[in-house]
Amino acid sequence: MREMKGLMLKKEAEKTPGPMTDFLEFKRHLPKERVLLDLAIVAAAFVLLAPILKVQRVTDFMIFCIFVLSFDLLYGYMGRLSFGHMLFLGAGAYGGGLCIRYITKDPLLAILAGIVMAGLLAMLIGLIIVRTTGACFALINLAFNQVGFFLVLSVLRKITKGEDGLGVVPAGLGWLNLGSRPIMFGFVLFFLLLAFYVLRRVTTSPYGYLIRSIKEDETRVKFLGYNTFLYKWLTYVLAGCLAGLAGTLSALNYGYVNPNFMDTHRNVEVVFAALIGGAGNLYGSIIGGVVYMVISNYLAIYIPRWEMVLGIALLILVFRFRQGIWGYVRKKGAQRSISPEIGIEKG
Amino acid sequence: MINTIIYGLTIGAILYFISIGLSLTFGTMKIVNFAHALVYTVGIYMVITFLPLLRGNFLVAALIGTAVVVPISYVIERFIIRRLYGESLDYAIIATYAVLLIGVDLIKWIWGVNPYPMSDPIGKYLSLGGLTIPVYRILIVVIAVLLFGALNFFFRKSIVGKIVVAALEDKDGVRCLGIKVDKYFSVVFILGSALAALGGILYAPITSIHPYMGFMVLLLSFSVVIVGGMGNLNGTFVSAFALGLVMSLTARYWSQAAETMVFIVMAIMLIIKPIEI
Amino acid sequence: MLDNNAILEMKNLDVAYGHAKALHDVSLSLKQGETSFVIGRNGAGKTTLLKTIIGLLKPLKGSIIYEGRDISGLPPERISLGGIRYVAQEKKVFGNLTVRENIELAAYGLGEPMEQALDKVLGLYPKIKNFLKMKAGQLSGGQRQILLIGRALVGEPKLLLVDEPTEGLAAIVIEDVTAILSRMKGRVSAMIVEQNLTLVSRLADRIFIMKEGKVEREMAGRSAILDTRELEQYL
Repeated sequence: MREMKGLMLKKEAEKTPGPMTDFLEFKRHLPKERVLLDLAIVAAAFVLLAPILKVQRVTDFMIFCIFVLSFDLLYGYMGRLSFGHMLFLGAGAYGGGLCIRYITKDPLLAILAGIVMAGLLAMLIGLIIVRTTGACFALINLAFNQVGFFLVLSVLRKITKGEDGLGVVPAGLGWLNLGSRPIMFGFVLFFLLLAFYVLRRVTTSPYGYLIRSIKEDETRVKFLGYNTFLYKWLTYVLAGCLAGLAGTLSALNYGYVNPNFMDTHRNVEVVFAALIGGAGNLYGSIIGGVVYMVISNYLAIYIPRWEMVLGIALLILVFRFRQGIWGYVRKKGAQRSISPEIGIEKG
Repeated sequence: MINTIIYGLTIGAILYFISIGLSLTFGTMKIVNFAHALVYTVGIYMVITFLPLLRGNFLVAALIGTAVVVPISYVIERFIIRRLYGESLDYAIIATYAVLLIGVDLIKWIWGVNPYPMSDPIGKYLSLGGLTIPVYRILIVVIAVLLFGALNFFFRKSIVGKIVVAALEDKDGVRCLGIKVDKYFSVVFILGSALAALGGILYAPITSIHPYMGFMVLLLSFSVVIVGGMGNLNGTFVSAFALGLVMSLTARYWSQAAETMVFIVMAIMLIIKPIEI
Repeated sequence: MLDNNAILEMKNLDVAYGHAKALHDVSLSLKQGETSFVIGRNGAGKTTLLKTIIGLLKPLKGSIIYEGRDISGLPPERISLGGIRYVAQEKKVFGNLTVRENIELAAYGLGEPMEQALDKVLGLYPKIKNFLKMKAGQLSGGQRQILLIGRALVGEPKLLLVDEPTEGLAAIVIEDVTAILSRMKGRVSAMIVEQNLTLVSRLADRIFIMKEGKVEREMAGRSAILDTRELEQYL
């Protein structure tokens, strides 16, 4: 189905100057082998971190990175800021948790359940929301997040056990015993790399380029005949599914799920991470995720007024450091090399 | 039932106070000002601080609370919003959220997390056919209606009001007539913040006061603005009271679902009439 | 350097929307008291040109010299106070205000006493007297256009920028608008974007033909009367 869309896009596109002709130029300059190299770098980085910071912590980091990746798909690539992305994390966590509790203890099925739960939610909400931008988009997401929180806390208390939460203990699947920390680490790493790979393929495909064009100037893309609603909706669903994946993994990692997995106040964490790492970029998301996790896990203990510091840090990011770490690194790199920077400005 | 309706109208009145500023900021600058929740909270805490100093004089404390918010909102507008709202809408949202975070943390630091009790400043009750209704609640509704009238007058008759009404429709057109629209937007921003503070102050005696009270109210106000139409003050008036009634009626049968019901109404509204902004 | 007769000069102007360039190295000069027209296909950059002069768009590069100063990059509030007026293509009036209030805003912003401004607009188009109390949103397309031109003439206008004044208007109304524009001729300089070649041939002192963000040709108005057919190819 995607290939068909891709082909149709290609045919239309080669006629008119616009995002597609730009894209084909862009594609010509992308070296093909990069994906595998990137995956290797990411894997190596986390494997190296694990013994230094303790395996379980780093597993946590990786899960958060998946979440940031999903958020950045919406924010950095599509240009839509969501202040309610925790909804999908929570949906994934509860989806997986409920599956294990009531249906089967198979962790892989639990993950599927989590993704499906988050995905369905994203499909429904997406229909309402992708027409909006900016202020409305951010707040409607927040409102739905709040509703979701309320649902798992009180309304569905019979199933979700409300504030107490559910224990989530998966069964082992042969060698896949998630109780063992190194195996859990490997399990999560696998999904992180998978997510990275999928996003890499998506964002460097014609579809991904179209999404970025929509962020740049949606009217123009509409005039060229594309159904922007559909593409935005698809992206929203994909982001929701990925967040759901992160949620389920999180529940499996912690061994429980409770309403905190859907806490609206925690949305600022992922926003911060995306910004500090560098929006609109896969490496940026991962860097941002790790940086935030490191700060909140190690520094926050020593800083009494953590929320204030976070707020101030956000202000600094917005006013002085918008490109984030990765953006900064790229700028420095571009200043030295002569490689052509074709394509849409990131972030 | 009468009590439920009165309560709904009271909530509606408070929502109206708060939503005016939000609606105007939305309509004029196209951003969500999260810091709106902050000025709402600050006004209340100012009153808590000054009330004992003024030996319980609620009126003066309320005025002080509202007045203190003016310079705060000026600073927020001048140094954060004005720098961002031209092009970087998302950053403006993030920045105002950051301001809210910082502000709430400061409040927690100075006043602590524990809720403050505050009593009904009038304390009298009306007896109507067997029911006792607090005069204070009715007063709030009356003030809201008066405010509605005053705002209508302001926007219809004063030149500032007319400029804002025109700019809400065609900002560029107003600029091309030599009028520095942004300056007027600042005035409107401060006015909206002061009204939010006033709304909070009026609400304080009948609700629990804690540092996070702004967050919830903000979401509800946002729903009011969406349902009523951004920048549409008459619509905001109607939707505020309507949603207030929705809340109180829902609370009657299922107390925790009150706020959720408001969001559901908002979602329905958006499905029927999607906003392209 | 500056032609003494020129009211506005554009030099090497580059304007872009995001990454898409709309004007490439545009240079032209408008003479004092002259009525010039800009014609060209949709997307040629005509509206962009006007919007850049009035300050709604910032050029990437180049300068706009008006009354001896470079006004490129200044905001519309200041440029309009300097005497340049812009009437947009969309014919947007302040619909929620009355016609009288529309003029009131213009008088307030452009620094003219209301009575004087009102007289000016009524003198231009006496029929407006009947509509003063009406909400501007209820006016027809033609009436709006006239209101917009009237608004633009409040204060001391020196250069009028009008974007497609006759677009979507009925023939009778076009006559009214043409009459008003010809009354302005000579008193106020004007740069008008138009597709209606009859109007062009009647009023133009000079014609700029734009294509894909550049000024392709410049023609003196007299010759346009004979060459309407030639002009058509550019639309």
